[in-house]
Amino acid sequence: MSEPEQGTVPIVLEADIAVARRVVRDVAGKIGFGVTETTRIITAASELGRNVFKYAGQGVMHWRTLHKGTSSGVELSFEDHGPGIADLDAAMRDGFSTGGSLGMGLPGAKRLMDEMDIQTTPGEGTTVVVRKWRHR
Amino acid sequence: MIEGIAVLKLRDVLLVTMPADPDDSTVSALQSRTLDAMEQHDVKGLILDLSKVEILDSYFARTVAETAKMVTLMGGETLIAGMRPSVAITATELNVTLGATRTVLTLDRALDLAGNISRKKSVQKTRSAL
Repeated sequence: MSEPEQGTVPIVLEADIAVARRVVRDVAGKIGFGVTETTRIITAASELGRNVFKYAGQGVMHWRTLHKGTSSGVELSFEDHGPGIADLDAAMRDGFSTGGSLGMGLPGAKRLMDEMDIQTTPGEGTTVVVRKWRHR
Repeated sequence: MIEGIAVLKLRDVLLVTMPADPDDSTVSALQSRTLDAMEQHDVKGLILDLSKVEILDSYFARTVAETAKMVTLMGGETLIAGMRPSVAITATELNVTLGATRTVLTLDRALDLAGNISRKKSVQKTRSAL
């Protein structure tokens, strides 16, 4: 698979988190990730998708395949126009939550993926981009 | 079509089997289905079969831990059986915990243990009756 592919999953209903997981599973399978790597990617997508639903009400997940030299990978971008994250440093700490959850969404997803970028503006929204590379 | 939760009474225990990738409403149904079945059937505990489960995110893990706690309050014991290696690795990296729940490798081992638990309890019952 050398042609880049991409797509978008709207996250509007709680059930869309599961839809996003299934799409990510298919994409990871196409890239050729193994079972454990695929599980890491899907779990990260589930945490980040749930953040979108819980904190912003709705948003989208964009996905695309990555190709660089002999490596391929996947990029997932979670975008919302919710309240934003007021204290990003705190949100990246294990156990910090303003939503009554366990607060492992962001730091947990970061550990499961290779790269994570967050852009957030209070009152405007949040974009979390994660990437996972498959090295040959 | 999303596969649901299967609840089966097996001798003294409830066998609750979770589907491969349950959505949030299926996960939250775990609590009510389990506690209702505990009340309905006179059982000593619960075996939660996770052998089909491919994803255990923080929401799912928290629901499992809370359900086990509630089962304890109702006087039962929870055994979690059959977690896949990929799921155990990912859950550890995500830093989720299942509380004080007992875990076993396979459903077979869970049934052995459940047999021991119910035998021990009936011995205790006999003793206290004497």
